[in-house]
Amino acid sequence: MEHRWSKRKLIIMKKSFINFFALLLVIVANTSGFAQKLITKSGNIKFQASMPSYEEVAAESKSVSAVLDQTTGDFASLVLIKGFRFKVALMEEHFNENYMESEKFPKATFKGKIEDFDSSKITNSPKNFTLKGDLTIHGKTKAVSVIVKISKAPNGVNAIGTFEAKPEDFDIEIPSLVRKKIADKIKINYNFLLAK
Amino acid sequence: MIITSKKTKNKIMKRKKITIVTAVLLLMVSAGIYFYYGIIFKEARNIASEAPDFSITAKKLLEDYNADPKKADSVYLNKTIEITGKVTKETNSTIILENTVFCLFKEKLKNKMINNKMTIKGKCIGYDELFMEVKIDQCTVK
Repeated sequence: MEHRWSKRKLIIMKKSFINFFALLLVIVANTSGFAQKLITKSGNIKFQASMPSYEEVAAESKSVSAVLDQTTGDFASLVLIKGFRFKVALMEEHFNENYMESEKFPKATFKGKIEDFDSSKITNSPKNFTLKGDLTIHGKTKAVSVIVKISKAPNGVNAIGTFEAKPEDFDIEIPSLVRKKIADKIKINYNFLLAK
Repeated sequence: MIITSKKTKNKIMKRKKITIVTAVLLLMVSAGIYFYYGIIFKEARNIASEAPDFSITAKKLLEDYNADPKKADSVYLNKTIEITGKVTKETNSTIILENTVFCLFKEKLKNKMINNKMTIKGKCIGYDELFMEVKIDQCTVK
């Protein structure tokens, strides 16, 4: 009798141990697995390089890719240069052929980290974070630090922000003939709706 | 007799010269105007009405990009291409074919296309390494 009881106990303990282990496995898989990655493939980047009293120099891409790892704050983004659309066809051609040389350098990338990122602190009202990393445009990489506003969105977060870039920092030559028609600092707006 | 014919010959030669010079001038001016307006007010490419340079499957396109991205770029980048494949994901204005080709449309999509086999025409804008997908924009459904 005594012996049977202990055997039963042992089986129950074994079962609960297996259950516990399975639960642990699920938790581990959830926290470190792909479930924590928020992505977008149709992010938005707009840039403005207009000068007052000259023709508008602006373009937009609606097919920007981005990935945010919620546990670490690691962030990566990629935009295809040919995906930028201008209002004026000639401007788009010059942008691709003369300035960005998009046949040679088809993409611009960013790889970095959002400092002190904590997904539990994200609320509906936008909160400022510092995003530090390497920005590569026109085949040239430069370390940048920008402010990113992050707020809660259905199924993920919304990351928006603005920063400025100088063409000469990325070896983009602008001929003196059009120099006064293009701003020294190019204003770049981004808007990523990152979801699971 | 000989003298008069020489005079008329000279006259004819002069006239010829003048006509040639004016013709050349006219041609140059019109060419100048043509190029000026042609370049300044150049029409944007209309991908929807362009005949495709390539008509291939989504799988083949990705295979080419995986094999040699640089070579694939030199073949497909900026070209109008027609891609066939099953729609594996769709959002407001984008669809993904066979999990490998991302298609961006200008307008919002109305009819549901998920799981259907479709042929999409668009401009190849390049390869996205983050998701290992080829992206095409200005898409239309064929």
